[in-house]
Amino acid sequence: MAFRSVWSVFFLALLILWTTPVREAGSAGERLVVYSGRAERLIKPVLDSFQAKTGIQVDLLSSGTTELVNRLQAEGERTPADLLITNDAGSLERTRELGLLLPLGIKTVEQAIPPPFRAPDNSWVGLSGRFWVLVYNTTLIKPNEVTSILDLAEPRWKGKIAIPNAGSEYLQAGISVIKAVYGDDRTQQYLKGLKANAGTDVFGKSSQIVDAIAKGQVAMGLVNHYYLYRYLADHPGAPIALLMLDQQEGGMGAIMNVAGVGIIKHSRHLDAAKRLVEFLAAQEGQKLFADLNKEYPLRPDVLADPSLPKRGTFRVATVPLAKLGELREPTMALIEQAGLR
Amino acid sequence: MYQAIRQPLPISLSLVSLATAAAIGLPLLLVCFMALTADPSVWSRLWNTRIPELLWNTGTLALGVSLGTFLLGVSLARLVTRYEFPGRTVWEWALVLPLAMPTYVLAYVYTYLLGTGGPVESIWRWVAGPEAQVFSPHSFAGATLVMTLDTFPFVYLLTRAALLNFNVSYEEVARACGASRADVWLRVTLPLLRPAIVAGLSLVILYVVSDFGAVSLLRYQTFTYAVYQQVTGRYDQTAGSVLSLLLVLFALIFLLAERWFRQRSRFYQTTGRYRVPARKTGGAFGSLLITGYLGLVLGASFGLPVVLLVQWTVSAAAEGTVDPRFVGFIWNSILLSGLAASAAVLLGTPLAYLASRWPSKLTILCLQAAYAGYVLPGPVGALALLVLFSHLAPFWYGTILVLIFAYIIHFLPAGLQTMEPALQQVTPNLEEAARSLGLTTLGTLRRVTLPLVRGGFVAAWVLIFLQCMKELPATLLLRPVGFDTLAVRVWLEASEEYFQLAAPAALLIVIMTLPALLLLVSKDWRAA
Repeated sequence: MAFRSVWSVFFLALLILWTTPVREAGSAGERLVVYSGRAERLIKPVLDSFQAKTGIQVDLLSSGTTELVNRLQAEGERTPADLLITNDAGSLERTRELGLLLPLGIKTVEQAIPPPFRAPDNSWVGLSGRFWVLVYNTTLIKPNEVTSILDLAEPRWKGKIAIPNAGSEYLQAGISVIKAVYGDDRTQQYLKGLKANAGTDVFGKSSQIVDAIAKGQVAMGLVNHYYLYRYLADHPGAPIALLMLDQQEGGMGAIMNVAGVGIIKHSRHLDAAKRLVEFLAAQEGQKLFADLNKEYPLRPDVLADPSLPKRGTFRVATVPLAKLGELREPTMALIEQAGLR
Repeated sequence: MYQAIRQPLPISLSLVSLATAAAIGLPLLLVCFMALTADPSVWSRLWNTRIPELLWNTGTLALGVSLGTFLLGVSLARLVTRYEFPGRTVWEWALVLPLAMPTYVLAYVYTYLLGTGGPVESIWRWVAGPEAQVFSPHSFAGATLVMTLDTFPFVYLLTRAALLNFNVSYEEVARACGASRADVWLRVTLPLLRPAIVAGLSLVILYVVSDFGAVSLLRYQTFTYAVYQQVTGRYDQTAGSVLSLLLVLFALIFLLAERWFRQRSRFYQTTGRYRVPARKTGGAFGSLLITGYLGLVLGASFGLPVVLLVQWTVSAAAEGTVDPRFVGFIWNSILLSGLAASAAVLLGTPLAYLASRWPSKLTILCLQAAYAGYVLPGPVGALALLVLFSHLAPFWYGTILVLIFAYIIHFLPAGLQTMEPALQQVTPNLEEAARSLGLTTLGTLRRVTLPLVRGGFVAAWVLIFLQCMKELPATLLLRPVGFDTLAVRVWLEASEEYFQLAAPAALLIVIMTLPALLLLVSKDWRAA
C-alpha cells in the first residue's frame, strides 16, 4: 500500500510538471500584461480595440512612469509585465539602458515609424508626439510677449509662471533638451530664474497648471500641448491659448517628446506582445492612440487631429530622443542643484 | 510579585516577538543607514536647496496649527464643561466628529470651497466688492486652516477631560482672594490645564508632521510631501532617505515631548475633596451665542464637508462612479485592512504578553521596537520598504504583502496601546491557577488569557482596520500596480480636481470611520 501511494504521488507530480508548461504555452498569446505610465483613459480604449480584434486579453496596470521603471528593475526576470508604455522617451531609453527591454526587430513597425522616433536598436518605438509648450491666459498675456522658453526666467515674469515639479518627466525631458542645446551654465542660470519666477506655483499635475491659468491664478505655464485641448473640451471658451516657443529664425524649436512602447526582455508572451506593437504602429492604431489625447501620430501617413497646429508649420528642436535617456541623470543633477522642488 | 515564580520564557512566543520587533525596527534602521552613508554632497546639496524651506514650512505649519487647535480646543472644552445650554451633551460628543474626516478629504473639500470661483470667493465678492480676494487654499493659510479643523478635537478631548476632573476649590480660593474671573482663568485654571493642553498639542504636531494627504492636495511643501516626491520621481532614493531621516528626527522630538509632558502631568493630580464645578447658564442670548460658535466650528470641520460630499455623490457627474470597479475598490480596501489588522493583532499579542508577564530588558526592548512605527510617517516607511524589498526579497516586491507589512509597522503601535492595558487588567493569578492545574504556557494564553482580553483585542483590531482604510501615502507608493483602494481613489480624483468623482469613496470612508470614532471616544482616543 505504502509503496503504491508513494508511486502514485510521484506520477501525479510528474503529470503536473509535464502539464504545467504546456498549459502555459497554451495560454501564451491569450493574455498580456501592460505596465503603463500613460493614464488609463488614454490607453484603455486602444487596448480594448486590440482585444476585440485579436481576442488577446490585455491587463492594464497604470501608474507613475518612474515608479514602473523602478518596479521593473526590482522584479527582474520575475516580472509579470510584457510591455511598457510610457509618455516619455527618456524613461524608455533609461529602461533600455537597464537592459530591461528587448530589441523589437519588426519590419512593419520599422517601416511605419521614422528612425528619429525609435531607439537606435529598436528596443522601443515612439507612438505619438507631444510638444512642451507655453499655455497662457489670453486676458493676461499677449502672444508676442514671449518668444523663447529662456524668456521665462527673466525677472519680469516673477509670479506669473507655473511649472510642474521636479519629478515630472516632461520637465526633465524639456530641461534635457535645453541643456543639450545651451550647455550646463546657461541651463543652471535658467533654472534658477525659473524657480524664482514660479515661486509657489509648482504643480504636481499638468491639468492643475492649465486649470490655474484658465482661472487667472497664474498667467502662464509650461505643459504638454494636449492639456490645453483637454481643458477646452470641458470648458469651452476658457481664455487660454498655446504658444509654440523658440520659433524665431535660428531658434531652438519646440521641445518634443514621444509616448512609446517597448517589449520587456523577460516577457513570456513574445508573439502576442509583438502583435500589440504592430497594432499600435499600424494606421488604425496610430490614429486611435494619438487622437484619444490630441497628440501627433508618428506615422507620416496618418494625419493629426485637425484642431492641432499642422505638422511642418513649426520648428522642432533637433535633439535626438534617444539622447533624453542619457541626459536624464545629469539633468536631474542640474535641477536639484537649482533647488527645484 | 509575579516574577517571583520564575517561569521559563515560552520559546515560540519569544521567537515570534523577536522576529516581529526585528522586522519592524529594520526599516527605521535602514532609512538611518541610507541617510548617514549618503554622499556628503547629497547632504550639502539638499541643505543648500530644499532643507531650509522644508524645515521652515513644516515648522511654521506645526506652529500655526498648534495655535489654531489651542484656541479652538480650549475654548470649546471650556464652553461644554462650564456652561449650561440646550443640547450641551450632544455638542459635547459631536465635537469629536472631525476626527472621522481624513485630512485629504477635508483638504479636497476646502480646495473647492476656497478655490478660484468657489463659493467662499463668490460670497466674499458679494460682500466686499467684485475684486476682493480670498486666500488661496494652496498656501500656508489654507494648509493651517484644514489641519486645524481636522485636529482640534485632540486638544478639545484632553482639555475637556482635564476640566471635568478639575478640582474647583482652586478657583474658589482664587476668587475668595479677590481675583477677577479672567484672572482666575488665566492665572489658575490655564496653568493647571497645561499638561493636558500640551499633550494634546504634541499629538496635533505629530499628526501634522506626518500628514501627507492634506499637504499633497494643497501642494504645501513639507517633509512628508518632499519624501513622496522623491520616491515617485527619482531612480535614486538617497536624497529621499536624507529627507526621511530629518522627518523621523522631527517626529521623534515631538513624540518624546509628548511622553515627557504626559509623565509630568502626574504632578497635577487633584487631591483633597473633589467637587464638580457649577455650570453657568448664559441666558437665551448667551446660549444662542455659544450654539452659534459651536455650530460654526462643527459646520466648517464636519457638517459642511459632509453635506458637500453627499451632494456630489448624488450629483449627475458622479453617476457611473459606483460601478463594479468601485465595488472592487471597496473590496480591496476591506481585504487589505482586514489582513493587516488581523496580522497586527496576531503579532502584537506575543509582544504585549511577554512584556507584561515576563518583563525583562529583551521583551521590553522588543515592545519598544514595535513602537518604531510612530516615528515612521507613511512615505518614509514606504521608502524604506521599497528599498528593503527590492534588495532583500524582490520576489515580494509589488505584492500586497509589502503593503500589509507597511500597515503593520504603521498601526501596530496604536493597536498595542489598546492591547497592553487589556492584558495588564487580567490578574496573573488566574494564569497561575491555570498553570498549576496542568495547562502549558501556550495553553494558558489560549484558554484563559485571550478569552479574558477579547474585548480589548477586538477594539484594537477595529482601530487598526479603520486606520488602514484611511491610510494614503504608503498605499499610494506600495500598492500593486492597478490595485486601488478607496483612499487612493479619493486622492487620485481629487488631485485632478474631479470633486464629484472623488465624493462617493470619500463619503464611504467617513461613514466607515464613525463607528471607530465611538470606540475611540469611549476607550483610547489617543490611537487616532
